[in-house]
Amino acid sequence: MSDTALAEKLSAIVGERFVLMREGDLLVYNSDGLPGYRRKPRLAVFPGNREQTVAVVRALAESGSAFVPRGAGTGLSGGALADDVVLLGLHRLKRVMSIDQENLRAVVEPGVVNLTLNRTVAPLGLLYAPDPSSEAACTIGGNIAENAGGPHCLKYGVTLNHVLAITAILPDGEIVSLGNPEGEIDGYDLRGAFIGSEGCFGIALDVTVRLTKKPAAIRTMLADFVSVDDAAHVTSAIIASGIVPAALEFMDSPTIKVVESSVYAAGYPADAAAVLLIEVDGTEAGVNADRDAIREICISGGARTVKVAQNDAERTRLWQGRKKAFGAMGRMAPHLVVQDAVIPRTKLAEVLEKIATIARENRVTVCNVFHAGDGNLHPNIPYNADDPDESERVHRSMGEIMRACVDAGGSITGEHGVGLDKIGYIELIFSQDSLHAMCSLREAFDPEHRSNPGKVVPIHSCQEWRATRSGRASDESGTLAGTAST
Amino acid sequence: MTVSGVLSLEPSATATAVREIVQNSFETSTQLRIAGRSHWIDAGRPVPAGKILTLAAHSGVIDYVPGDLTITVSAGTTLSEIERITGEQGQWFPLDPHGSGDGTIGATIATGSFGPLAHSFGRARDLTLGVEFVAGDGRVVRGGGRVVKNVAGFDLVRLVTGSWGTIGVITEVTLRLYSLPPRPVSLALTVPDGQQALSHRLKSLLALPTNPLAVELVDAEVAGLTGLPRRKTILVALGGNRAAVAAQTDSLAALGGMSEIFPEVWRRLRVVDDAPAGTPAYDHPAPNIVLRISALPGRIGDVWTTVENACEQIPGARMHASPGLGIVRCILPPSAGFEAVHALTEACKSATIVCERMPRELWPLISPTVVGDRISQGIKRAFDPQNILNPGILGR
Repeated sequence: MSDTALAEKLSAIVGERFVLMREGDLLVYNSDGLPGYRRKPRLAVFPGNREQTVAVVRALAESGSAFVPRGAGTGLSGGALADDVVLLGLHRLKRVMSIDQENLRAVVEPGVVNLTLNRTVAPLGLLYAPDPSSEAACTIGGNIAENAGGPHCLKYGVTLNHVLAITAILPDGEIVSLGNPEGEIDGYDLRGAFIGSEGCFGIALDVTVRLTKKPAAIRTMLADFVSVDDAAHVTSAIIASGIVPAALEFMDSPTIKVVESSVYAAGYPADAAAVLLIEVDGTEAGVNADRDAIREICISGGARTVKVAQNDAERTRLWQGRKKAFGAMGRMAPHLVVQDAVIPRTKLAEVLEKIATIARENRVTVCNVFHAGDGNLHPNIPYNADDPDESERVHRSMGEIMRACVDAGGSITGEHGVGLDKIGYIELIFSQDSLHAMCSLREAFDPEHRSNPGKVVPIHSCQEWRATRSGRASDESGTLAGTAST
Repeated sequence: MTVSGVLSLEPSATATAVREIVQNSFETSTQLRIAGRSHWIDAGRPVPAGKILTLAAHSGVIDYVPGDLTITVSAGTTLSEIERITGEQGQWFPLDPHGSGDGTIGATIATGSFGPLAHSFGRARDLTLGVEFVAGDGRVVRGGGRVVKNVAGFDLVRLVTGSWGTIGVITEVTLRLYSLPPRPVSLALTVPDGQQALSHRLKSLLALPTNPLAVELVDAEVAGLTGLPRRKTILVALGGNRAAVAAQTDSLAALGGMSEIFPEVWRRLRVVDDAPAGTPAYDHPAPNIVLRISALPGRIGDVWTTVENACEQIPGARMHASPGLGIVRCILPPSAGFEAVHALTEACKSATIVCERMPRELWPLISPTVVGDRISQGIKRAFDPQNILNPGILGR
């Protein structure tokens, strides 16, 4: 089907205003939260409700058109980019459909913004725990696609632990229920498989999330260090102590400097080599004991000072610096590469030192700002993509950092997803057989690979798998009727 | 089941040994019953397998760095072994599935089993970080990893957990550990008579600003089996620093009718399925029937009363519930028969019912399949093309 004919068909469903075809109109959809990647969609369509979404997906199925689902486009893996395929934006599906205070459940549409959900349930003394730094803009649908985390996932778990059920439309137009609002799952955990599938399995139409009671008391602390190594060791010591902080965040000197020189200045000591932002929550009596124990670990581990937020305003300010740190880096250079590797928590000091060496050797500035409590690093490099020499050094550094993390026993991504950005690294941690298995899981949902094609698992891994399987079918067992070879 | 042989692995066996067995079975279309220590060999729907592949001997720690709070073990490692090894470091794997402690971790993950601690730590799906398994065509597949946070690739860990060995033979798992709570306290709360009073009691308990490790409601029968006075009781496990535990104990005490109990109660609660004889299930000629009825937490009092009424006519029936999870677990003697089980499932029609164990003849009548949908069928075909791994255990 021609682009014009498809646009006409989709316009009939959503209205002309909500189908974009002109290059200028599509410009904003050419990238996501990682400005280094640009891909031009074939066209963009924005359904306004569930019925329109279903009709759009079915129209795309009929015409055999591939598509990329997109929430707010805040993702940091290039996962929401549509390379000459249809971009299906879901941000208009933003109804909070129901809130069940007694059972701690809410049902929302995929376009509901994370922070909007939190603001809606806050007056009831409740919260939705996953809190990615992009919470003010990112959507629940996008959070599901990426299995998003955030600072407080250290204690409360990631999106997977807070989504109970999903009504989804598969790329072929079939509507399916995954999971169970009551929490029990009999048979395969299709809900678990769908969460974190980066838009490759289908589109969520509604989502039942688990809400969490607001903790009775919170203590937020800032510990500052003159040595990165000390801060890393203190992180490991806090984890090993058995206290599970609600959050345990790390920022190094370049990050502190850029935050403090921005409008998000949080009062971090500008001369510190690193700071840890630590939060504990629970009962009033319990958090004071945890606060004292953590302060002791910090001081004996070399912290210069440990400052405790005295009120909500101080707490918000301490957090603002952390949550807006990525944005503040925009002051340093026009482009930013962001990594998301996870390492075992006992290897923090060692890997941070390696990262420093890699940065020195390649003459780049790495800003480390990350979820230290679960070993989820974010080594970021601000740079100018228009300078080919600098670009080359930056990308070389990123490759070396990724390898250092994998060598330490880590993973290539903890919460941002593979998308396009890390597809070249996935073979560092998974064998071809494992990647084949992932392809076959995808094919149970989307046999034609029409939803978010070319992401997460390299195309060649899937192709080789199909070739091998069809080979086996004829060579060995005679028949494999009904296998997922397409 | 007609079994013509048991395929046991050597203690030093690797995934390669499992791979060879599965590959061979794939080529000869030999159906396998995958087992750990064979405790639950009669659980699940009947499996027409020619051979049992047992991973009991494939055990041991592969990697344990206490500071990382993760452990990687071979699938045949027992839960009590994991408890011992992690306990020496002041840590634990907080999953307390019903059944004997010498069950294997592979079987625990494969069956997605859990117990009262799921109230605060989640279920097997929330605590498993990585898996290695051998798919039905002999491919060795890994999902997840050894770190506590990971979104690389599609989620094979969640897929395999609770898949009852039908997608692959689990050979290795990486688990998330926690530090042992410094001050564990176990408490019992009395339960007033009557449905409304019970619902009210549960609601006030769950509404408290406390974060217990576990909350479990037990009937008189189960209370007696755990060594407590034979009456309906709510059990609460607390843990944390001294101040936190004291504050939480005070708020529970304010509800009235609270007493401290011995922690051994929790261990005994895990094996109430096997009473009265106290013999492990695998020695039991006919295992008890175990059903889990789940509902939203706010309805748990109502569901409890419904199940209680339905069980009144069944001698030997007993039940307990995890109110925070919204699950009532009901244990019936094998003699209960179709009529009684059917009456119970009918009474709970509006809830979700998961059958854990039943005599083989009841499965097709009560729960013929849980994998009949298109996606599940597609997954099974892709991972086990010859249908040789635990065929039919989740239905067809």
